[in-house]
Amino acid sequence: MKKFVIIADSNCDLEEELQKQYDIEVIPGHAVLPDNTEVLTYPKWDVFTQEDFYAALKKNPDGFKTAPSNVAEFLEAFEKAAKEGCDVLCITISTALSGTCNFARQAATQAEKNYPGTVVKVVDSSRFGPGFGLMVVHASLQRESGKSLEETVEWLEDNKNRFHQGGWLDDLSFVAKKGRMTNAKAFFGTLVGIKPIGEFDKNGMTTVIGKIKGAKKGYSVVLSYIKETIDNPEEQTIFIAQSNRMAQAEKFKELIEAEIHPKEVIIKDVHMSCGINVGPGLMAAYYMGKPISDDLETERALIEKFDAETK
Amino acid sequence: MKTKRIDGNLLEKMLKNGLANLKTHEQELNDLNVFPVPDGDTGTNMLLTLGNGLKNTPSSYECGKFLVDLSNAMLLSARGNSGVILSQIFTGFAMEVGRCPLLGPGELRNALIRGYRNAYAVTIQPVEGTILTVCREGIEHIKTMITRNSSAEDILSMYLGEMRKSLTFTPDILEVLKDAGVVDSGALGYIYIFEGMLKYLYNDMLPDDYVEVLETITPAANADLSLFNEYSIFEDGYCMEFILQLMKNNKYNQHFNLKRYIEDLKLYGNSLVVVQNGQRVKVHVHTQKPAKVINLSQEFGEFLTFKLENMQVQHNERTERIEKNITRNEVAIISVSNGDGMTKLFKQLGSNFVIESSQNAGVASEEFLRYYDRCNADTVIVFPNDNNLIPAAEQAAKLFQDPNSRILVMPTKTVAEGYFALAMDLRDEKDVERRIELMKNGMENVATLYEVTAVKDYSGELVTVSAGEETAIINKTPVCKGQDKCSTLMEGLAQIEDIDDYEIAVIFKGENVTDEEQETLESMIEEQYPLLEATFIQGDQKKYNFVVGLS
Repeated sequence: MKKFVIIADSNCDLEEELQKQYDIEVIPGHAVLPDNTEVLTYPKWDVFTQEDFYAALKKNPDGFKTAPSNVAEFLEAFEKAAKEGCDVLCITISTALSGTCNFARQAATQAEKNYPGTVVKVVDSSRFGPGFGLMVVHASLQRESGKSLEETVEWLEDNKNRFHQGGWLDDLSFVAKKGRMTNAKAFFGTLVGIKPIGEFDKNGMTTVIGKIKGAKKGYSVVLSYIKETIDNPEEQTIFIAQSNRMAQAEKFKELIEAEIHPKEVIIKDVHMSCGINVGPGLMAAYYMGKPISDDLETERALIEKFDAETK
Repeated sequence: MKTKRIDGNLLEKMLKNGLANLKTHEQELNDLNVFPVPDGDTGTNMLLTLGNGLKNTPSSYECGKFLVDLSNAMLLSARGNSGVILSQIFTGFAMEVGRCPLLGPGELRNALIRGYRNAYAVTIQPVEGTILTVCREGIEHIKTMITRNSSAEDILSMYLGEMRKSLTFTPDILEVLKDAGVVDSGALGYIYIFEGMLKYLYNDMLPDDYVEVLETITPAANADLSLFNEYSIFEDGYCMEFILQLMKNNKYNQHFNLKRYIEDLKLYGNSLVVVQNGQRVKVHVHTQKPAKVINLSQEFGEFLTFKLENMQVQHNERTERIEKNITRNEVAIISVSNGDGMTKLFKQLGSNFVIESSQNAGVASEEFLRYYDRCNADTVIVFPNDNNLIPAAEQAAKLFQDPNSRILVMPTKTVAEGYFALAMDLRDEKDVERRIELMKNGMENVATLYEVTAVKDYSGELVTVSAGEETAIINKTPVCKGQDKCSTLMEGLAQIEDIDDYEIAVIFKGENVTDEEQETLESMIEEQYPLLEATFIQGDQKKYNFVVGLS
């Protein structure tokens, strides 16, 4: 069976250590800073520290812009793999949020033409940030278990909607302004202390399925929600994404470990590439569980139920 | 000679005298407010309620008809708690004697009884020691003494005497009055109205200058002049309103005949209302030819006040309004705010309309009613965001005539409660009931603290505050005082019950607060309450330096 490499764009937020552990290659994206310099975005804090970046972003939300990795960059990575005699599985950030997937697809067609016999498959993760990263990790696990490229792609397509997000984004103004969530317009205006609970929807965006007043109650409702929707926690690695919310994330990690007993919980930063569009205040867990319903009605009902039950 | 029967015209004159009497005491009534800041403005509210009511009621000889029209007009013009109660008392009068052309002693007695009973019936939580108590005791204590020979003077004198007596006891009933060493201002306002009415019967006429008050509250400001341009069709004419002072100087025609004047005006326009009061004539007319009306009128005198409005502009505005709301909404939200920043925030949070409550006059039922109509929605959710505006919003809901609209007044007492309710809303949720449920959850368990610079001296249960001092207010009660905004606020926070149980604080920064003051407060809160998630929002409110909502 022909070997295949797994390539993801930098929005997956998998740092070098995880890239090595799961044998994944990450292609950087682009960002324009307020002073109009352009930098490559890697899942690491090389240009700014996390604190400095989110402070600058909060001050000047419109000053930062992102651009996806371009066709040439994907092509280079694909051709490098082809030269080494490998096929390619490329997983990208949700097409609902970025044009990355299209660029990857164009590069894939080109690479297959340039290197006949090489197969390049592109999968739209329909996720962003650590949620997308978790899917990439699972693709690697599938590969490790002996699945072929085609089987891995099939598994991804079949299980995509089992990747959950359980948590909240304190400040919806960034995603709302940039249209990077469902019904973005409905979420303008500062929310003080109110936690909008977001879950992935079938369009590859985040939908707010409930609002909880206060972090205390928020933790408890989200924990119940994860407990209800997760499959086999003891075999799972759960990612917690945080954008400038380290203290909250650590508390959340403790609660998850105590109540859900997963194999492992890793707190992950949201780096520049996603961070520019998400803004500060994301604190959510990513895990595999029951398939998410198309209209999210089941998930809404759960939040409503746990909200009513929690005092 | 004493008055046996009151007709519509006499009642109107009596009430205008009552209004004039109220006007003389407006400031006194406002000052009686149990608060270091001008908050309730009872005097102004009552004046506007009765004044606008009278202004919009056509004269009628038939007393009952006049009262019915007046009570309807007052319902619309009602402002503030005292205004709403006053309008309800008059509604009671009209219910009792609506079909009587003349009021004899029996009718007068029954009307006064029905008046207070109606006010009690419609007030959600009647509080004793207020206007309600006074108008109840006033008539209950004298009703057996009224005979068929009693004159209006006799009855009103007794009524007033009993009400004044009752008024002196209001501090014994309402502790908050006693603490402040005052009597209830709404009750006193009511007494002033009847005092003026009785004075009229004794020929003690007060200067009829109420119109000047009224002009200030009906500005034509909401007309959008850009709607009338060179391509517009002018067919509605002008709306003219003026008061003509008849002149003695023989330059003018000394033979003013009201009937003749009206007949002449009819040649130039319609929608005519002409009222003569002594040497003054008030005129309202719609006309295409204002110059003709002016020339005719100037034969007899000069204009005291004058207003000319292009009705096409108003008309266009109306048509545009209807077009704007031609699509029916499932849900519409109305919020009341009192600062630019707050207005912007409430709009962002999904309010279809934000009413800016002016500091002194609040929002009248009529205004709420207009907005309910503009919403054109199956469910209209209303956030009054002020204790004093809840009655007006609710009254308007009762008056609203669209059987397909449900008006839901959420009893938000403060902007903080309104904020949390709106912030919890899920606008993309299809289930309206769930949205309402979420909003209700939002406004629960909210504590509000105000920090304000006192504008007058106040002696309260907990502190005595002098004008210019800083004070923090919880539940309408000043709880502490100080010399600087931030430390006074901190002291106030500490007095909130179970302050440590609150997780969130939204802090609206007022117009008069500097960034340095905000920074100082930020670090003080951070130090004192490290677990509190506090966020500052530029509210731009005028009166309060800070409004803190805790949840």
